[in-house]
Parts: sequence; structure tokens; C-alpha cells
Amino acid sequence: MKTSLKKELLDHGATVVGIADLRGFLGGEIAHLDRAVSIGVDRRLNEDTLSLLVKLEKRAVRFLKARGHRTLAIPPDSDRKKGTFISQLYSLFNHKMAATSAGLGWIGKNGLLISIDYGPRLSLATVLTDAPLRPDLPMEYGLCGGCMLCREHCPSQAITGAEWSRAVPFVELVKLSACRSHKATKRATDGKPNCGLCINICPYGRKEAAESMRVRG
Amino acid sequence: MVTEEKKTELLTKLRNAVIQYDEDTAKEASQEALDVGMEANDAIFNGLVSGMVEVGKMFEAQEYFVPELLMCADALYAGLDILKPHVKQLDLGVKGSVVIGTVEGDVHDIGKNIVKMMFDVAGFTVYDLGRDVPLDKFVAEQLRTDSDLVCLSAMMTTTMTGMKKVIDDLRAKNPHVKIMIGGAPVSQDVADKYGADGYAKDATNALKDAINMIESLKKMKDEVEAKKAK
Repeated sequence: MKTSLKKELLDHGATVVGIADLRGFLGGEIAHLDRAVSIGVDRRLNEDTLSLLVKLEKRAVRFLKARGHRTLAIPPDSDRKKGTFISQLYSLFNHKMAATSAGLGWIGKNGLLISIDYGPRLSLATVLTDAPLRPDLPMEYGLCGGCMLCREHCPSQAITGAEWSRAVPFVELVKLSACRSHKATKRATDGKPNCGLCINICPYGRKEAAESMRVRG
Repeated sequence: MVTEEKKTELLTKLRNAVIQYDEDTAKEASQEALDVGMEANDAIFNGLVSGMVEVGKMFEAQEYFVPELLMCADALYAGLDILKPHVKQLDLGVKGSVVIGTVEGDVHDIGKNIVKMMFDVAGFTVYDLGRDVPLDKFVAEQLRTDSDLVCLSAMMTTTMTGMKKVIDDLRAKNPHVKIMIGGAPVSQDVADKYGADGYAKDATNALKDAINMIESLKKMKDEVEAKKAK
């Protein structure tokens, strides 16, 4: 079932798909849905990406429901309709936690999910289910190593340089208030809150960077 | 005119869309129901609501948990949004207005929202005060709207005690208003002790009780008026 679900999603536009075993990680009302299908799409975050992610989620939901399993699709963070009943439960859940548990990557120093092949450039959505899918191997440690590019380039000095690991998942990686106030300033001056330097600078998943690193070697 | 066969098919589709928490199908089937000329009332009550009643049973039997319940409610609302503008005359025999809210100190409003939904569907006028509502506000709102019914919800034993105060104040101001309470720590015993008229352990029961209460309230009012007329 796992292989065919993954194939179905990859065939329809998903870049990566992983299965996480979240037993013991989920709180309260969603604790019975302890498998997560973590879906990543390697595209800039925009309307098209969001609608692709939502379509992929629906596909996964149909696939699992047709086989008699419960599902709960958690939409991408930037596409959360307020005012629905179910939206009250979204805050119980974190896409990055599911993605690292599914082995798609780790949490980098910039606080984002970093995939070996795609860097911090994946947009995520998750479908929780009670289907007994065989889980993938989780990531236990970050692979940022000594790289501090994101920290050096962060215009608001929000990145602390601390490293994430599964054992200590709540260490402060990014001073959110600093990052947020920088984005607010950007919005005031440019009309858009875009920053994203810590995404652009990350050598993981960047073709040119990867090649130049290999040359330097 | 829509054939019986088509009608049954659509009602089943609506019902299953709610049970299967499938918003897209709920919307699609609702639109289809309107397109073939079905009564919106029929589609709501014999389709969507009948699905929700089943969901309530599944929830009680612990086949469904809170997330499924919430998604079913969303699917119901998705259909309801399409059907409601086409409802001609909602006739449940009784109509009323209700003030509803979660008492001060309590931010848990999932249960309250589902009860609210049942009232919405049944055509009640609902004054929703939201959650963490100051106790005085219930009384003020009841007086302002002259509602037949006040529904109080609390999810914690610590906030539940606030309901007693609201009930006492309401009784002092308006002895005829009917009061229902609900929430995890609430039981029939608590309802009796606090002097509430009703206690409902879930949304479907809340609606049934509410209709009964308003019926008796209206009867009482009629009797009083009949006496005055004499």
C-alpha cells in the first residue's frame, strides 16, 4: 500500500513523499492518527504550488479512504482557511516535525526543513492517517555541519547558529521576533514581506553551489 | 419534476458526503439537488442532517473521534451554505431564538459550535457570544434579544461553577427563560443542582431537548395570555 500511495503522489507532481510514524508525538484529539504522509513539492511558494499541494492531499485522502482508513489532511501553513471547525486542530500539528520523522530532511540552522537534494526549497503538506503504512527512517541529526552561511547572511541576525536534533527538538534556532520585525520593515518599505535570504543562500539543493563546493572540494 | 429514484440517490449522496467528511462531494451534491429542483429543506434534513445524526452515533460508539466529527461538521456546512439561500419555509413546528456561549475562563468551544450548528440547521435564530464569555453578558444578551433559550457550555470543572451564577441571575431577571447546559464535566446531577432546565450530552440531544423546551415555554406563554384575555 505504501509503495502504491507514494507512486500515485509522485506521478501527480509530488517531489518527495515520506511516511512518518508519529506514535507518541501527537497530542490530544489527533493522537489516533499516528501515521503521517508527508508531501513535499520543490517549487516556489505561490498560488500554484498551494493548489498542487492541496490536490495531492486530496489524492492521498481518496486513496486511503477508499481502503477504509481515517484521514486528516493538514493544509500547507500558508493556506489555512480560518473559520472551519477542523482548523482549530491544525495548531496541534507541525509539518516539519512530520517531514523530519518521515526522513525527508532535518531542521536547518535557519529553522527550515532542509532536504539533501532540494535544500530548504520544499513546500510541505501532510495527511495524517490511521492506515498502518510502513514508516520511513526518521532523521535524527542535522547535516548542516560547520556551515553558517544563513547565519552570516541573515539581515536581522535572527539565526542563533544552534543545531537541531530529534533528541532536543525545541532548541531556539531562530529568534522569531527579530525575523518578524525585519519582515515587517520590508513590508513597510517594499510593500512585500519577502526576505528569504536564508533560503537562497543554503548550499543544499542549489546546483551551482553544490558544484562549486565539489570543485573546492 | 425530480424522480423518486434520483431523489433517493441524491439524499444518500449528501448523507454519505457528511459521514465521509467529504466537503467537495457535499457541495457538488447540494448543487445537484438544487439543479434538479429538489426542495432545499428536504436536502438539508433528509440528506445532510441525517448524515450528521449518523456521525453523532459513530462518535458515541467511538468509531469517530474529534477530528472526524469536526470535518463532518465542515462538510455539512459546505452543503448548507449552498442550500440555505433556497430554503423556502423552514417548518419544524417550533421556532425560537437562542443565546449560546462558553462561560468565562473557558476557551473550549468545539462542543458549543456543534450545538450551535444544529440550531442553525433547524432554523433557530442563534446569538452566539463565542467563548470565554463574561457571566453578565449572558443575562444582558438574553434580555436584549428576548431569547427563549440560553445555552451554556463549559469544558472544565473550574469554569463549570460559573454556570450556576448565570443561571441564578437569569432566573432573577426572567423566570420563564429556559436554560440548557452542556460540556464534558456536566451531568444530569449537575444540571439539577444548578437549576438548569436541561442537560444535553451531545448536539443531537441538545436540539431535541431545546425543541421540547421551547414548545412547553410557548404553551406556557399562551396559557398566561389566555388567562389575561379572560
